[in-house]
Amino acid sequence: MSENHIINIKDFANGFGLEHPSVQKVIKIAENIVSQNKTLDVETLYNRAKRILQIPRKGLLRIIQMLINRGILIEGTKYTRRSVLNNPLRKTIYFFIKENLGAHFSDIRKNIFTPGDEDDLGSAGQFIWHLEMLLKFKYIKKIKVKNFTVFIPIEVSDKVGELYFILRDDINREIVELIYTSGPLQRSDIYKIVEEKRETIYYRINNLAELALLEIDEEKGNLIHINPQRKEKVSMVLKDFRQAEENLIELSANGGSE
Amino acid sequence: MELNWNIEVYMNIFMVAFLWVSIITIFIYPRIRKIKSLFYLRLSLFMYSLTLLFDVFAFLYLNLLFSILGGYATLISTFFLVLTINYLMKEEYYSIPLIITIILAALGFYLGTQPGAASIEQGAGYIRVGWIGSFGFVCDLSTLVFMLLTFYWGFQTYINAPFLIKREAFIFLIGANIFAPISVISYLLLSLNPVFVLISNILFIVSLSCMIYVIIKEPKVLYILPFNVHRLLVKDKGGFPLFDHDWSESQVNETIFTGFINAVQLMSEEVMNIGGLLDINLREGILILHESQYISVGLVASKSSKLLRDSLVNFSKDFEMKFKRQLKKKSNSLSNYEDAIELIEKHFSNFPYKIIKDKTHPLLLSAKFTKLPSQLENKLKTIFPDEEEFLRIKSELIKSPSCVPNEFTDLYDEIKDEINVIPFEEAPLLNEKKSEEE
Repeated sequence: MSENHIINIKDFANGFGLEHPSVQKVIKIAENIVSQNKTLDVETLYNRAKRILQIPRKGLLRIIQMLINRGILIEGTKYTRRSVLNNPLRKTIYFFIKENLGAHFSDIRKNIFTPGDEDDLGSAGQFIWHLEMLLKFKYIKKIKVKNFTVFIPIEVSDKVGELYFILRDDINREIVELIYTSGPLQRSDIYKIVEEKRETIYYRINNLAELALLEIDEEKGNLIHINPQRKEKVSMVLKDFRQAEENLIELSANGGSE
Repeated sequence: MELNWNIEVYMNIFMVAFLWVSIITIFIYPRIRKIKSLFYLRLSLFMYSLTLLFDVFAFLYLNLLFSILGGYATLISTFFLVLTINYLMKEEYYSIPLIITIILAALGFYLGTQPGAASIEQGAGYIRVGWIGSFGFVCDLSTLVFMLLTFYWGFQTYINAPFLIKREAFIFLIGANIFAPISVISYLLLSLNPVFVLISNILFIVSLSCMIYVIIKEPKVLYILPFNVHRLLVKDKGGFPLFDHDWSESQVNETIFTGFINAVQLMSEEVMNIGGLLDINLREGILILHESQYISVGLVASKSSKLLRDSLVNFSKDFEMKFKRQLKKKSNSLSNYEDAIELIEKHFSNFPYKIIKDKTHPLLLSAKFTKLPSQLENKLKTIFPDEEEFLRIKSELIKSPSCVPNEFTDLYDEIKDEINVIPFEEAPLLNEKKSEEE
């Protein structure tokens, strides 16, 4: 037994630190076990360290306990679908996605990381990490709409998710709502009612048509109507937005009266 | 006057000496001297030694009064043992066994004053003085309660012991649960053969030695049952966490835990003074908060306790003293306060760790000590240039399924353009800027 393997009574009395050679050797043994892709647990670590270092049982257990206390050996249960939400930031992201259907990457990030707090909450990399964990454990899924990556709860269908994404935009929603309630309209009529720049409105209509939400009937003088195959879903999503708006108004009215 | 010397007298004298040595041993060890429950244990052992001493006089002088006084001492000894066990298990005195013991003691004290409580008779080859009739029955019943409680205490301690002190708990179990009952049974068989007194006393000595050895070597066995200490968090006045320590998994929600500390910090002047303590009862346990000049310390445990509160106050004082320079500078880097673990070892050394439930519970090396494939490590370092954030993600990564690192880097590559193309401050929908340019 080499001299630096020995932990004497004095070490116990004074408490030994991380720099103690025996402690360092136990860490090395733990690293070896992990690098061999073997399960690291107290029994394996204890048996191997006991064989190699020949430290008395009590001393070795104290080293292992100290490594646990100081967070060098950590509880090693892999993440489960349940425990993955223990991270508060990840949980916040998940609930934001659930409550704001159709939110895209930057939208979520903007709302979760309020400017100025970014340093506290972490970088974009960390944000993507949390999204990856939510994806991996099937809490959310991602869909691509044009250049945007949209994250939706796993239980929401891609098509509905896409609709929510499109209609989260006020101008898009106003255009679709108008056509939904008034029936087919010309571009110019839409432009007159929706108070926005002409090119913005025309660009949005083209976009919505590209996304197969609107259809332009060339035979009927470019009359624009909602894609009949998506009408039912559009109605549902619009209703949902209306409800959310009403709730918001009610909330602010209550807040104001108080 | 000729004294009635016999084997039982010799054994009892030896036992009295042994008990007094045991009492002094428990008293002189500084680590356990101030443990309140051991005060009652010492009283219980002392009363038991008086039982034996009175028995010695009763035998030597063939005196019934001494025998009855021995019975009284037994009843009181059991009463103090019940207090010991109650306090050790629940940190309170009241329990049903305590009521039973008090009733038995009251009954025993009355019956001891009645004629026919003790007698002189020939038994086991020599003249004995013993309790008889109802008084004898009550005293024997009290001895039985003594035995059953010791049995229960040892068993519960072993069952609930975390694996790091399981071996000590096992020795305690042997002491409390195997030798103690056998010793008592042997004592009850004494009337058949005097050799049983020898067996009984030897087993009692072994039993008590085991228990005292464990208590001295590992006082944590005394804190397995009364409460679970879950977590301690130190925050500075700005709300930054400075030090975090876990003993066991807590059911108290993280948001509630930190939320309460923040709330109390905000209204500390109204709720509590500097140096004040506040107990907040939660469904899942109790949150004890201590407010001092530079820091707020929160401790989550399964129940409140004076011992815990005292430990918390002393920890806070020492923490402020040890890190006064950093606290004055308002340094909130966790690494500056890592040495606070020494204060945990100083003030909370008797509370057992329960994070790792058994010896086959999977462990991992912390992120700092975990080696990743160099390519992945380099890639992650470019994504997370901040060292602390890198370690935070690494510690999550090692607990994730093996495919996650690659999937994460793929997702990052896929979305990173979106980070660059769409500015953080503004995230317009569907290429509006492009449309306006058009």
